[in-house]
Amino acid sequence: MSDRPLVSVGGLVVRHESAGLFTRRATKTAVAGVTFDIARGETLALVGESGCGKTTTARALLRLIDAAEGTMVYDGTDLRALRGETLRRQRKHMQIVFQDPFTSLNPRHTVGAIVGEGLLVHGIAKGDAAKARVATLLEEVGLSASDENRYPHELSGGQRQRVAIARALAVDPEFLVLDEAVSALDVTTQAQVLALILRLRDARGLTCLFIAHNLAVVQQVADRVAVMYQGRIVEMAPSRALFDLPAHPYTRAMLDAVPVSDPRDRKERTLLVGDPGVTGVQTGCAFYSRCSHPAKDAACTTQQPPLVSLATGHLAACIKTNINLEPT
Amino acid sequence: MTPLLDVSNLRVAYGDRSGKRVAVDSASFTVEPGEIVALVGESGSGKTATALAIMGLLANNARVGPGSAIRFEDRDLLTLPERELRDLRGRRISMVFQEPAAALNPVMRVGEQVAEVALVHGERDKKKAREQAIAMLGRVGLPDPAEQYRAYPHELSGGMRQRVMLAIALLLKPSLVIADEPTSALDVTVQAQVLKLLLELQRESGTAVLLITHDLGVVAETCSRALVMKNGQLVEQATVDALFHAPQHEYTRELLAAMPKLKRRA
Ligand SMILES: Nc1ncnc2c1ncn2[C@@H]1O[C@H](COP(=O)(O)OP(=O)(O)OP(=O)(O)O)[C@@H](O)[C@H]1O
Ligand SMILES: Nc1ncnc2c1ncn2[C@@H]1O[C@H](COP(=O)(O)OP(=O)(O)OP(=O)(O)O)[C@@H](O)[C@H]1O
Ligand SMILES: [Mg+2]
Ligand SMILES: [Mg+2]
Repeated sequence: MSDRPLVSVGGLVVRHESAGLFTRRATKTAVAGVTFDIARGETLALVGESGCGKTTTARALLRLIDAAEGTMVYDGTDLRALRGETLRRQRKHMQIVFQDPFTSLNPRHTVGAIVGEGLLVHGIAKGDAAKARVATLLEEVGLSASDENRYPHELSGGQRQRVAIARALAVDPEFLVLDEAVSALDVTTQAQVLALILRLRDARGLTCLFIAHNLAVVQQVADRVAVMYQGRIVEMAPSRALFDLPAHPYTRAMLDAVPVSDPRDRKERTLLVGDPGVTGVQTGCAFYSRCSHPAKDAACTTQQPPLVSLATGHLAACIKTNINLEPT
Repeated sequence: MTPLLDVSNLRVAYGDRSGKRVAVDSASFTVEPGEIVALVGESGSGKTATALAIMGLLANNARVGPGSAIRFEDRDLLTLPERELRDLRGRRISMVFQEPAAALNPVMRVGEQVAEVALVHGERDKKKAREQAIAMLGRVGLPDPAEQYRAYPHELSGGMRQRVMLAIALLLKPSLVIADEPTSALDVTVQAQVLKLLLELQRESGTAVLLITHDLGVVAETCSRALVMKNGQLVEQATVDALFHAPQHEYTRELLAAMPKLKRRA
């Protein structure tokens, strides 16, 4: 079946335990019921406010933290049921570039060992073949083969980020999660790395979950975009539709806040007013207090707005909006 | 007017097993009081090394070249005794580190790390330090700051950690903040809030900012001047308007051409 999605997430809930103020431990729901599919060869971008649950979603999907509820299926395999050896083998297919490169790279290993580790672990290559593969990867991300002898702390922030990208690509994954993976790169290096990812997508159907704050970059690489707010997806649409006809007030606020690209066009940027609060249980729309939709009213506060379809593939969770509304 | 910061002929070299690597090569620039200056350029070109040299926080394997000078508020930072430098750091000059996850203390509550800056620089009243810290965490856009005060760094998202880092650097409203990629983990609405805060501090307290960033939109939006670095050298220094409309150096033109721009239906 070719139209079966490669990745399918349904009703995912993830909770974190943390030191609370009044109780010794408090539970915070970071992901509160997230559903999405990613087709083979597709790039789905996940965007949204800092702290809304993007990294948590990705970590749960890769089985790096436990999900509390929901389903996660990869190419017909129930990811939540995997244990031990089967989980280890699954990891070859699914790779992640972490948001914080420094803390994710072993400080005692050389760049060469870090990038080449997956090749050995998964029995893909060893010896000279592994060395050659590492050299190629380093050059593809704009580093040089001679950097293999260096240690992570001897690199710049963007160089470390590229080591993490090279490591993820080394095992030739089918599915790649990029969590803010190009944010520490200058725009020319960034363009080079994005071109590499796009090339892999075209050449061998690499599937990506692309988490990023830079919406211009998202627009360049994503086929579809999911917008998260406080643990939930509030809008999901093909990239074009999302940028041209944003339906959810949060998506619109976000697009209006993108910085200008010319100093002569400076303007006061839209600020979201009001404290978003920390993700928790609330009735009604989580965005209500900061929403600037002219029609917002008490109805918004009585129930969680469902994610409904506005047009083919275009979903939004706002009871006051529809796709015909003029974009602001 | 004497500049707030005057860096002249700065040279930084790192030594490692493969020999010597020149990270910064005769870089000269100034930052005026209250000015917001961008430092942009290639990954690995020496931006962080420049910042660390100013802060006196270079790694042990780094050497600052003999002809280098860094004057800040009429003191020579390169010859200042460590004790005096420590007194300046956090109070007169502070830094937002590029990788907050690595810069924050993993076993200390984030709020306490912010409050500590006040305590180290003379605040005796712990409660006041705490209140100051919570207020600043709120200003940098951390939701529910009184609650998040107690969180440990690993319990926060990447962008939340970045805001903690910002709160630490801005707490005492120093005259110079060196911000190394301070908004790279922030979504655009929180980013707008943080940049607005920098502009407010500039107005309120005359704070100057050396803003290291890869986001040229942030430069276009916030900075008055920009320095462009490549291979350890400053290849162009210009007003932001000139930089975007009449770039002189080939590399600056390349950067501008590669800048991703959001396309929206008019
Ligand atoms: N280990 C943890 N313990 C407790 N709370 C956590 C933990 N990890 C994340 N959180 C909380 O979960 C929420 C979501 O965090 P997450 O890292 O998923 O956000 P994000 O969308 O990736 O944000 P950013 O864009 O800033 O990286 C935040 O409120 C964060 O404080
Ligand atoms: N501790 C170190 N030992 C050896 N070399 C180092 C060390 N730290 C940095 N370098 C090298 O010095 C050069 C400049 O690094 P720096 O961190 O200043 O770059 P940067 O401009 O900040 O880059 P980025 O935008 O990627 O953060 C790089 O080539 C880097 O590999
Ligand atoms: Mg994150
Ligand atoms: Mg740097």
